[in-house]
Amino acid sequence: MFQALEALPQECPQPLGVVSIDIPLISNLNVWMNIALIRQYHENQPAPQAADMVKQLLKRFSMESIFNLRNPQLCEEERFCAMLLRALMVPRSVLVVERPFEILNSHGDSRFLHQALNTVNDLFTKCYIFDYTWQKNKYGLFDGS
Amino acid sequence: MVEPIQYIGRKTIGTCSAFAEMLVFSGQVMTRALQRKTYNSATKMVLINQIYFTSVQILPLFLFISVIFGSLLVGSVFQAIKNLGLTEYLGKILMGSVVTELSPFVTVLLITLRSSSAINTEIAVMKVNKELKTLEAFQIDIINYLFVPRILNGILSVVLLSALCSITVLISGFLFLNLFFGVSPDVYASDLLNSAVFSDILIMLMKCVTFGFFITLIPIRQGLRASDELTSIPVSVLNGMVNVFIAIVIIEVLSLIIRFI
Repeated sequence: MFQALEALPQECPQPLGVVSIDIPLISNLNVWMNIALIRQYHENQPAPQAADMVKQLLKRFSMESIFNLRNPQLCEEERFCAMLLRALMVPRSVLVVERPFEILNSHGDSRFLHQALNTVNDLFTKCYIFDYTWQKNKYGLFDGS
Repeated sequence: MVEPIQYIGRKTIGTCSAFAEMLVFSGQVMTRALQRKTYNSATKMVLINQIYFTSVQILPLFLFISVIFGSLLVGSVFQAIKNLGLTEYLGKILMGSVVTELSPFVTVLLITLRSSSAINTEIAVMKVNKELKTLEAFQIDIINYLFVPRILNGILSVVLLSALCSITVLISGFLFLNLFFGVSPDVYASDLLNSAVFSDILIMLMKCVTFGFFITLIPIRQGLRASDELTSIPVSVLNGMVNVFIAIVIIEVLSLIIRFI
């Protein structure tokens, strides 16, 4: 799995927007600041405009309530959605979701993952999901399929 | 016999290389601080937050300490020099000791205790939690985003709070003298203005800028030296605060030497 992940930048020259347990949310920033940070830093987007944009995106998940919360206050679904939205802020990027069940610990299948990706499917063109081979049952993949 | 000499040698080399690394890091940060492209919406937000937490939140306590300290200090100084028949030197003593030495020193101690320790802990925690890698993953330069706003804030806060401390001490001191010793405002003001020396004020400003720079740079540097273990955080903060204290003493001694050359 890690060899495939490391080979991705050569196969995909576009920038990568990564969702991974190893790329956590910044703990001293609110959810909206974590998501807005990329556009504020790279595109100099003003803070009020960035905040409005994040509000609209959180509305898609019906998660407006997490706007001002910080990482430890989030449940795993909220954390995943925040990390997903943050990754989608990288302009013209390929979305990479790496070991999603390390974030969504209590989920036994990929329904929430696919629902979340479908909610924001207009914000990315390509998505790669990397996970351990022993997790393939959670994706509805079985030996021989 | 050889081992103590080897130990001293190792320690000396270690200290010199750490000092050299610090100077290189300072150069990198100063270069970035002077580049326009460093400043964007994200870094401006960090700077505003840092100024709020360092300078604005501390204001009530800071003003209270300045007023109490100022009144009692100026009152006791005046009483002492009155007994010696040296009241004409009040302005020189206040400008020379309170404005140029005491105010910056008290300010820097307060900011170090409060903000430097917080910055050190924050950076160390970010290192341990891999949040610095998060910033790198999204191509956010940590010097531009994390360090430059904090160092600029340190410089601004020490300079402005030192000036505020000096003004508060002098005003509260005057109110105390007026109330208990009948000193008139004209005499007090003219004495102070006549005693103000431009070179002393300039040295005081340079000292505040240097203080502000190093009391933020050193904790940042020490925070970055934390390893991946949680137990390295208190060690990093401990070392950071000791090094900041040593830097404060060195800067104070150097400023005194420059003043009295």
